[in-house]
Amino acid sequence: MRLNCIINGAAVSVDIDADARLIDVLRDALALTGTKEGCAEGECGACTVLIDGLAVNSCLVLAAQVEGRSLLTIEGLASGDGANALQRNFIERGAIQCGFCTPGMLMSATALLMRVQQPSREEIRRALAGNLCRCTGYEPIIEAVAAAADEMAGPA
Amino acid sequence: MAAFKYVGLSPPCPDAFAKASGELRYATDLRLAGMSYACLLTSPHAHARIDSIDARRALQVSGVIGVYSHEDAPATRYCRYRIVPGQAGCVDDESLFAVTARFVGDRIAAVVATSPQAAREGVRRIEVGYTPLPAVLSAETALEPDAAHIHAGGNLLHRFDHATGDAPVAPADAVRTCTRVSTQMLHHAAIEPHTCLANFDASGRLTVWSPCQSVYGARTVVADLLGLAYNKVRIVKVPMGGSFGGKQEFILEPVTAYLAMRTGRPVCLTLDREACIRSTMVRAQQRSDVRSTVGADGLILDLEVDTLLAAGAYASSSPDYSEAMAHKLTRLYRVGRYHHRGRVAYTNTPVAGGMRGWGAPDIATCAEIHLDQVASRLGLDPLEIRLRNLVHPGDIDPLTGHSVGEAWVRRCLARGAEAFGWRERVGLPAGTGRIRRAVGLACGAHKNGIFSDAFPEATTMTLKMNEDGSLDLNASIHEVGAGSAVTLQTIIAEELDVAPQMISTREADSESTPYDFGCFGSRLTYFCGAAARALAAKMRARLIEAAAELLAVASENLCAAGGRVVPLGGGDSGLSYAQIVQAARMRYARDMIVTHTHRGTSNPGSYCVQFAEVEVDVLTGLVRVNEVLTVVDIGRAINRQMVEGQCRGAIQSGIGSALCEEVTIDGAGRTGAGGFKNYHLINAADMPPVRVLLVEHDGDEGPYGAKSVGEIAVVPTAATIVNAVNRALGTRLATLPLTPDRILAALGDRAPSGSREPACG
Repeated sequence: MRLNCIINGAAVSVDIDADARLIDVLRDALALTGTKEGCAEGECGACTVLIDGLAVNSCLVLAAQVEGRSLLTIEGLASGDGANALQRNFIERGAIQCGFCTPGMLMSATALLMRVQQPSREEIRRALAGNLCRCTGYEPIIEAVAAAADEMAGPA
Repeated sequence: MAAFKYVGLSPPCPDAFAKASGELRYATDLRLAGMSYACLLTSPHAHARIDSIDARRALQVSGVIGVYSHEDAPATRYCRYRIVPGQAGCVDDESLFAVTARFVGDRIAAVVATSPQAAREGVRRIEVGYTPLPAVLSAETALEPDAAHIHAGGNLLHRFDHATGDAPVAPADAVRTCTRVSTQMLHHAAIEPHTCLANFDASGRLTVWSPCQSVYGARTVVADLLGLAYNKVRIVKVPMGGSFGGKQEFILEPVTAYLAMRTGRPVCLTLDREACIRSTMVRAQQRSDVRSTVGADGLILDLEVDTLLAAGAYASSSPDYSEAMAHKLTRLYRVGRYHHRGRVAYTNTPVAGGMRGWGAPDIATCAEIHLDQVASRLGLDPLEIRLRNLVHPGDIDPLTGHSVGEAWVRRCLARGAEAFGWRERVGLPAGTGRIRRAVGLACGAHKNGIFSDAFPEATTMTLKMNEDGSLDLNASIHEVGAGSAVTLQTIIAEELDVAPQMISTREADSESTPYDFGCFGSRLTYFCGAAARALAAKMRARLIEAAAELLAVASENLCAAGGRVVPLGGGDSGLSYAQIVQAARMRYARDMIVTHTHRGTSNPGSYCVQFAEVEVDVLTGLVRVNEVLTVVDIGRAINRQMVEGQCRGAIQSGIGSALCEEVTIDGAGRTGAGGFKNYHLINAADMPPVRVLLVEHDGDEGPYGAKSVGEIAVVPTAATIVNAVNRALGTRLATLPLTPDRILAALGDRAPSGSREPACG
């Protein structure tokens, strides 16, 4: 079947199997390998993408379900060649070690900041509770999200 | 203390943006032209003879290229843990495909197909005839006289008996205490699943792409197994999405390489999460009986440990791992007499192997839980009993005869106690209501590199300076995500006084980077960092020598500063590095390239002390960790942010091992944890605030005094949490993890007969 959707701002039309998972279409058919697969059961969050602004585990979504929707993946985050505020704060604040959970973390954080301008530390923790990280102990990630939110909000 | 220009700062890792943008290609992201996909059929039985393998229905699946099993693969046995040919302590007991299935998850066959779906469907259609054999699921039962043999030589894989010192005559008021502590099988839980790619080309060259920790180690195992010359086998280290030791051993490389050779196609093998838990390796289940005689003054007169460790179905690193457990406590405490006996048994359970800390967290958990019980019996503050026994800088480890070096663990404990407010908080009542609150602490020791009387420590690196003054470091770096590259960059930058970004690094590739044992043994910063420093010093000397010739002055009158060679005492008549490189080449046909082989001669202790506060809900048995303070005897933080990152990540892992992480086995040998849905990692919402204190000093042979951090940081965590829980509840819990069920059971026990401790054998 044919899937038509918007991915990272561009119209995409691609042939898919009716039972194809979204993550496989992204990674294999569209070569968007920035979205990672860590568990295939919606527990680790490494495959998080945004569908119409909502963070979802792309391993639990059929590709056919995103017909006509607008998707944002990690590849759509950077502005031109440069890191956006969230990515830059991740880089500068030690929120990245092995980096395998990073795309999913960034996407969950992006969804949060689209919804809440200046989330509390507790809101950030809850928003990232579905994204597992074995390297950082989370604190630098939470600080990076908070700092990016402050930066994006600008002077009070 | 010297002033540093780059050491101690926190420049990001060179690949940070590639990670943040999704551009970095991990093994699962690599696509080779014509790539085929492998899927493994693993044993559903804990122990079974394989009578027949019928692949006919699998071969009918569209896209299936071949099915492989012991019927056609070489029967050669190998050790997945081996780094160098002939390595002592390595047992060749594993083969590509099992003839006898020895655990649920053992490799029986593989299907290679043009798509992952076809490979999986092929695996489903293989028909295997098994004759189940009696399964041995614990080390205890494995060593019973009538236990079924898992390997021909019997189930006792390894034993040791190490003793040192004489126990002083114990005064009448000394106390003897015995504690049985059991630690559980753990999953490393790198978020990146295990993946390997291989290709065997028409010229007879095998290339393996793997997120491994030792390209040269992998090469010896793969080449010897497949009968290839070492220079026909190329192992390429690709970006790694976390290891924690789980990718240290060569689990997928041999089978993937074999499948590539057999099919003549590039093959990719990726395990799903359930297979990562079940079929790769786990931290060993072990129990240790810790017996001590401690004087009323708190001095440890005698310490005896008896360890029984379950190796799982294959030896892997378990013999060495158990030996490592025996070599930690004498570098942590001054003990009158130390005696450690150990036995390692084969079991029909997942293969045990190296994991972060390599025996150190295991034994620290046992000893530190024990020591709190001793302190309690003596009426001593847990802080005091440790202060009275901890080693001092320069002490000789009686077991090895080598110095513990600049062992500043006492300062760690003192500084941590003050920062945490230990003395004020230790005496606070835990409460009598539903929520009980208390603090706990523990200490730990680990090592710095692999130097010992039995194993050399060496590495070779090359540094090249280009015409613009930029540098290329050619070293076998195995970046595990912990900052190896930026650490070496920073050290070279400091020595040559250039910005770290001027130095390019690359990852290990057995075809083109110099020999190195690999990234393990807490050797990167301490030892490879020292090598990089010496290498950079050689480059500096070469630059100064060339500048002296170019300027016609004595080299003694020149120094390197700010990316230039300048006269001592200032002046602007020097030459930039770029000018030196260009002029040396054009005038003297001389290249600015240096190679250095560094040899290690020491292995001091690394130390960490941790403090935590917990709350236990006595209704539900749930534990909440309110805060953790970790204090590390780091010597010198080369990259402060990465060092702190290691400390924080270790706490996440250690709390999990104390409270919730466990690979359970049912009565049929099946792992209960099929994925992260029932193997619980601490997540962002569970994670307590963590404070990190670093104790810095000169001394030792690490660069600028630097010592290891990634492993030592997790060593005391589990014991810290358990000690806090026991203090909160007045229990003697010593079987990990402290699940709500175990906590409630212990509380139930307390009412009639007081807090029970596990039977000490």
